[in-house]
Amino acid sequence: MALKTKENKKTGAFPFNFRKITGGFVISNDAGGHCIISRGGFSKLCKGKKLSASLEASLQDAGFLSHKLDFEKLFSRWQKKNSFLYSGPGLNIFVLTLRCNHKCLYCQSGATGEGAKNKDMSWETARKAVDLAFSSPNPNISIEFQGGEPLANWPVLEKIVKYSRKKQKESGKNLFIALVSNMSMMDEKKAGFLLENEISICTSLDGPAELHNKNRPFSSGNSHALTVKWIKYFMKKHDEQKDLSYRIFKPSALLTVSRYSLSHHKAIIDEYVKLGLESIFFRPLSPIGYAAKYWDKIGYTPKEFLDFYRNGLEYIVSLNRKGVKISEKTAAMLLSKIFDYKDPGFLDLRCPCGASVGQLAYNWDGSIYTCDEGRMIGWEGDDFFKVGDVKKSSYKDLINSSSTKGCLVTSNLESQPRCFRCAYKPWCGVCPAVNYEAQKSPWGNMATSARCEIFMGIFDILFGLLGKKREAEILKSWIAEDK
Amino acid sequence: MNRFKARADISAYSIQALELASYILSDWEFKISKSGEVEVCGENAQKGFNELLNEALNQQCRIDLASKNSGIANLIVTKAILSALGEKEAEK
Repeated sequence: MALKTKENKKTGAFPFNFRKITGGFVISNDAGGHCIISRGGFSKLCKGKKLSASLEASLQDAGFLSHKLDFEKLFSRWQKKNSFLYSGPGLNIFVLTLRCNHKCLYCQSGATGEGAKNKDMSWETARKAVDLAFSSPNPNISIEFQGGEPLANWPVLEKIVKYSRKKQKESGKNLFIALVSNMSMMDEKKAGFLLENEISICTSLDGPAELHNKNRPFSSGNSHALTVKWIKYFMKKHDEQKDLSYRIFKPSALLTVSRYSLSHHKAIIDEYVKLGLESIFFRPLSPIGYAAKYWDKIGYTPKEFLDFYRNGLEYIVSLNRKGVKISEKTAAMLLSKIFDYKDPGFLDLRCPCGASVGQLAYNWDGSIYTCDEGRMIGWEGDDFFKVGDVKKSSYKDLINSSSTKGCLVTSNLESQPRCFRCAYKPWCGVCPAVNYEAQKSPWGNMATSARCEIFMGIFDILFGLLGKKREAEILKSWIAEDK
Repeated sequence: MNRFKARADISAYSIQALELASYILSDWEFKISKSGEVEVCGENAQKGFNELLNEALNQQCRIDLASKNSGIANLIVTKAILSALGEKEAEK
């Protein structure tokens, strides 16, 4: 909710949004400032009554007292928080192939069988896509290989890496390359190439073997065993690196929460800890692709996901207390936004969203989409989110396309009736592709949006924990390590 | 297939909101007069009228918000596009 401007004039409070949480209120403002405030303190603030010295100092620092505003500080925070508005697209998703040897229950990539024909990105398409990626004014370019299973198109992957490293030298830009793979086609030779070229490795790990293999069926073997084998391999390489001419990044893993995962938060987190992974990403299912098709079997309500999230987060905090190093990625990113005014690169949680201006998704056939979710909707036969084609579009065409502009307008929180007055607005974002798929309009309707309910719930859980001293210290330590 | 006629309260919903809502609801055909008379044609036409009012409320919220916030909203989107195009403010 938002306090009305005429009330602010009476009380001396600068305009703010608020939300009731356990034990008090969260208040926030457009500069990204926030306070967790008791009911009594909130009442005094709203009525313009005298505040305690410590509350007044906190409110002043966060920019809530209109007679004590430090505009330079507030603007500098706003600018830092919205740095993505000044840079252009940095993330480039390359869908190297639609072929995949897994049949994941929740797949949203439109993967086909391993033997499918004409589903690989050609080198000609890939080269043009790299050229487009480097046309962005952003000094930091990321290329992320996805699929299908990107290792199924290894020759083109190798060529892209070599060509983009050459482009990196010529352009003077920073280049970060990442691979998202199920590891089933990994071998020592490929691994060696990936390491020598400083490619960051990310895989999917849904928990212990039984759960992982249930979510991610693999007809040619044991998906979990292969994933674990290669996580250990890359972890060992990372830990043992010494006097190398290249850096080896720590491998990371992604968790997708299906209905089967809901009662196993401890076992899933323990599996990550056992493998030395220091971050776990509780990702809810997106209502796109197979997940939408099989929602009755693998889906859940936002409340069910939030119960899982709360239990998982509390378990992680309890492990941290015992000295175990692990954090949850959504929470860590939100904390970074809340306390450091940083943009951690979570493109779905931006205003406007990252569609084309933060990322571009290059499909195997050369068609280009605002994002990977938009690309998936394209695979379903609807090119609403298509912005161009590598064969005929210039970089400017992509940014000027009606799909790009449509996404930017609809994901602008200032234009969303429920969002613009939400206490979590400074750190949240709307996804037009999810709205389009789930609610048949890129605008969506946040009052009935499951995605909104989930993020609102995550913020509630997080601020609930931040209101407790011991938990807050642990959560804040997650971002202190990043500094 | 049937028809239903009723009047929408134009003190609550603007004609623009009613028209926008009618474009979104593809299961029925709507005729909307400037005085708020609505004629609905299609299966379960009365339901169509109720849906129209529901959606018109949604559209009215957006219209009201746009009249208040369109300045800042446009500024943010323009900045994002110009930056992505590599254009400096001065060249705008």
